[in-house]
Amino acid sequence: MEAIAQAAGLVFQPYVLWVIFASAVFGMFVGAMPGLTATMATALLVPVTFFMDPVPALGAIVTATAMAIFAGDIPAAMLRIPGTPASAAYTDESYAMARKGELDLNLGVNLVFSVLGGLIGVAILILATPVLAEIAINFSSFEYFWLCLLGLTCAVFIATDAPLKGFASLLIGLAIGTVGIDPAAGFPRFTFGSVELMAGISFIPAMIGMFALSEVLRGVVAIDRTAVPLAQRIGNIFRGIGSVTRRYWVNFFRGSGIGVAIGALPGAGADIAAWISYAVSKRFSKEPEKFGTGHVEGVVDSTSANNSAIAAAWIPALVFGIPGDSITAIVIGVLYMKGMNPGPTVFLQNPQLIYAVFMIFVLANLFMLPIGWAAIKLAKQMLRVPRNVLLPIILMCCVVGSYAMTNSFYGIALMTVMGILAWLMEEHGFPIAPAILGLVLGELLEQSFMTSMIKADGAFLAFFHRPIAGVLGAITIAVWVGMAWHSWKRRQGGVAGPVTPAP
Amino acid sequence: MTKLTRRAFAATAAAAAASAGLRPSFAQANYPSRPVTVVVPWGAGGGTDATARIVAALLEKDLGQPFNVVNRTGGSGVVGHSAIATGAPDGYTIGMITVEITMMHWQGLTELKPASYTPLALMNEDPPGVQVKADSPYKTVKELADAIKAGPPGKFKASGTGQGGIWHLALVGWLQAMGLKADHVPWVPSNGAAPAMQDLAAGGIDIVTCSVPEARAMLDAGKARSLAVMSPQRNPAFKDVPTLKEAMGIDYNTGAWRGIAAPKGLPADIAGKLTAALKKAYDSKEFKDFMNARGFGMIWGDAAQFAKFMEEGDKKMGVAMKAAGLARA
Amino acid sequence: MRANDALSGLVLIVLAAAMIALTASFPAFPGQKYGPSLFPRILGVGIIICGLMLVWSGLSARRAGAPWVAVAPWVRDPWRATSFLLVLAMLLLYILAAETIGFIPIAIVFLGGLFLWLGVRPLTAGAVAVAATGALFWFFASMLRVPLPRGVLTGIM
Repeated sequence: MEAIAQAAGLVFQPYVLWVIFASAVFGMFVGAMPGLTATMATALLVPVTFFMDPVPALGAIVTATAMAIFAGDIPAAMLRIPGTPASAAYTDESYAMARKGELDLNLGVNLVFSVLGGLIGVAILILATPVLAEIAINFSSFEYFWLCLLGLTCAVFIATDAPLKGFASLLIGLAIGTVGIDPAAGFPRFTFGSVELMAGISFIPAMIGMFALSEVLRGVVAIDRTAVPLAQRIGNIFRGIGSVTRRYWVNFFRGSGIGVAIGALPGAGADIAAWISYAVSKRFSKEPEKFGTGHVEGVVDSTSANNSAIAAAWIPALVFGIPGDSITAIVIGVLYMKGMNPGPTVFLQNPQLIYAVFMIFVLANLFMLPIGWAAIKLAKQMLRVPRNVLLPIILMCCVVGSYAMTNSFYGIALMTVMGILAWLMEEHGFPIAPAILGLVLGELLEQSFMTSMIKADGAFLAFFHRPIAGVLGAITIAVWVGMAWHSWKRRQGGVAGPVTPAP
Repeated sequence: MTKLTRRAFAATAAAAAASAGLRPSFAQANYPSRPVTVVVPWGAGGGTDATARIVAALLEKDLGQPFNVVNRTGGSGVVGHSAIATGAPDGYTIGMITVEITMMHWQGLTELKPASYTPLALMNEDPPGVQVKADSPYKTVKELADAIKAGPPGKFKASGTGQGGIWHLALVGWLQAMGLKADHVPWVPSNGAAPAMQDLAAGGIDIVTCSVPEARAMLDAGKARSLAVMSPQRNPAFKDVPTLKEAMGIDYNTGAWRGIAAPKGLPADIAGKLTAALKKAYDSKEFKDFMNARGFGMIWGDAAQFAKFMEEGDKKMGVAMKAAGLARA
Repeated sequence: MRANDALSGLVLIVLAAAMIALTASFPAFPGQKYGPSLFPRILGVGIIICGLMLVWSGLSARRAGAPWVAVAPWVRDPWRATSFLLVLAMLLLYILAAETIGFIPIAIVFLGGLFLWLGVRPLTAGAVAVAATGALFWFFASMLRVPLPRGVLTGIM
């Protein structure tokens, strides 16, 4: 109790509150700009926090990352450019809502459920950290392999209107992901002697190209016909939130739960959490046919999930110094610098500092509501800009954003090539979301498969030996059998369903 | 003291420039007059990134221009190391190079060698350790070594970094010093030390040969134990961990180092100014506090010492990697 | 522009076959049954299967009267077709010339050029191009310290 009082004393100081506010604004900007991620915001804050006390230093990082993950939703809905990879899973859904005239509702849902999802993540971080960390640390490559396969299965749920092309798209994404040094033997694959390609397909420029450039290419050829496609007034973004909450509260809790679970796993962060919760939402929805047409349900799940994952990633980081995602990888360095060495003892040695961090987590999520509202109001100015002015500016942002990620022209070239590829794919009816999912999960899948095989001396049955792995493997196989059965029955029923690929 | 050193360095640099017949241009004399890019070949969050950011912050404070840390990751370090080597030698592109520069060219991943750079300063070196899971039956490195020798090849699995990385080489060096074959303990490639330590705690592998500071969180958490370090002396931050020589009489040591370098052909006066500023950063309380907090080893080498250090390291790595079967002919 | 599924399928098959052929030169992983070539090969085979199924469904559609290639109306409109190509040309120009010329001048050309072609009035085009370039430079280069190319401005700023 004394520690909590001390912590409050550390947090509620004008200087600390000012730092939190400034980082919130900074995080909003970074998150809303394509190519600048929450990870980058954290890395940029490190030299600044170097000269600060522990509480404002960690407060700056906590606040900026929480804001950035929400802010990524704003350009995703308005322009179909996910501001951070964590928004990629539901970018198409949000953009479709905006085109239907439901931009207000979408942004409201994104803001409110980001705040609530973040708060759930913090609550679990505060209450269950030691227990969850103990579970998360037991995941070895076998468990990750099954998780990746389950994640990839999501692609099939995401693209049900064209299953064959969705599956092809997933394979294309996975194949593109094999470019670069291979994760096991360290051999450069498909690099043709290029040093840049050895680094592999940098995910963020690829994502910017696939969403934004393909959209710009479609936009410039349709410029006068859709003179005012998006220019709708942003009214009260909070209207309708109440009924969405009443209708989809299960989705909110489920999304936050998935976010916490995935976020707490080392190496899997907010972006994967958003993908999986979106797919789960569609799988268990009463109206899955509405997904992809601008339906709010999947957005509730996934926008809650990515914000709850942010807090959950701190669970293994605090207890074992194992980063839950790329942000906490940097945070661990800062913790050491401030003398708060991660470990179970961190709660005993410096309880007031840990409680202070928790308080800042709560504060940051509460601040998100007004600051996010202001950011949306500011961003709406963009929609008044005529398309022929807006499109070139979006294009320039894509250029600078992809350059910022690799710090070289390779990023821009990659963005261009992937943009053209995505444009071609969409023209031919191939959904691009599965390809992006393939890029996200490809390396982890191959790495976990190869290292598991090395550990098991090539015996595939070892994938079922460990208890958690066995359960995950059984679930994966059950899901696949279920899908095969479902499509077989549908064909028996005489419905001229589309061709379903074998898993 | 630092002031003296700095002046001495400036004098040396000026003398060197004069003797070489180089007249520093106006731009050089004012160096740095615009932001400097500090390239880091490894990702944000790792030890190299953290060290580079601290050094950059201190250089910025000293030299009055922004020193921007830029992560050029991927390709097992090839991408970032190339970016440093191919930058303009004008002092506005420098970078943190790591032990991999003496390894990658033996693996056939790149043509780059230590000679592709203008060395500026060596700042850090960490020896590998031998870590096992907390509930492992082996209490000393000698017991572990005996079990490895007694067991069939492939019984134990080790990890710590990618295939052919520095910690892989450390394992092979240790095995060979015991008279075993390089693949007696198979290597499980990982994405760095943190994932390997997690896999150790999860029971996926048996041994991790990363440096002790990298294993620290798991050691503190009681999930793993460090049995030995492969260095001549113990690490002051981990006094209880014996050296390999003390524990089993094997005199094998190696290490992962980090230093600052610039593209080849950097004018001597700029190089002198940077080395002096780096020395000042190295001696600063902030740097010492940071390195001690992380348990990172500090080692100083000026430009000439760093060049010699890399050249010797490069030869040793060549021999070791060929012996380990990791070099591509 | 939309080609028949049979053609898309054929393209996928050719690309996947090329990918599998390239894996022939990959080395084996020392001491392991599987090497760096395993994953690309599995994916290649999967893509070929998808490609074959697409060829099948494309041919059925063709028999039902679908054309080989359906051309979107904008392709026949020179102004729109040029807009499409101009976007790609500007990206290429940026990649090739930004290093030497520097971010600020090339971004102004990039934005100004596209504005003018898309029918923005010259005065507005110029003003917005300069303002947007300035804002981007300030945010990315000054605040976020992204090393945007300086080009000809190296000595000045």
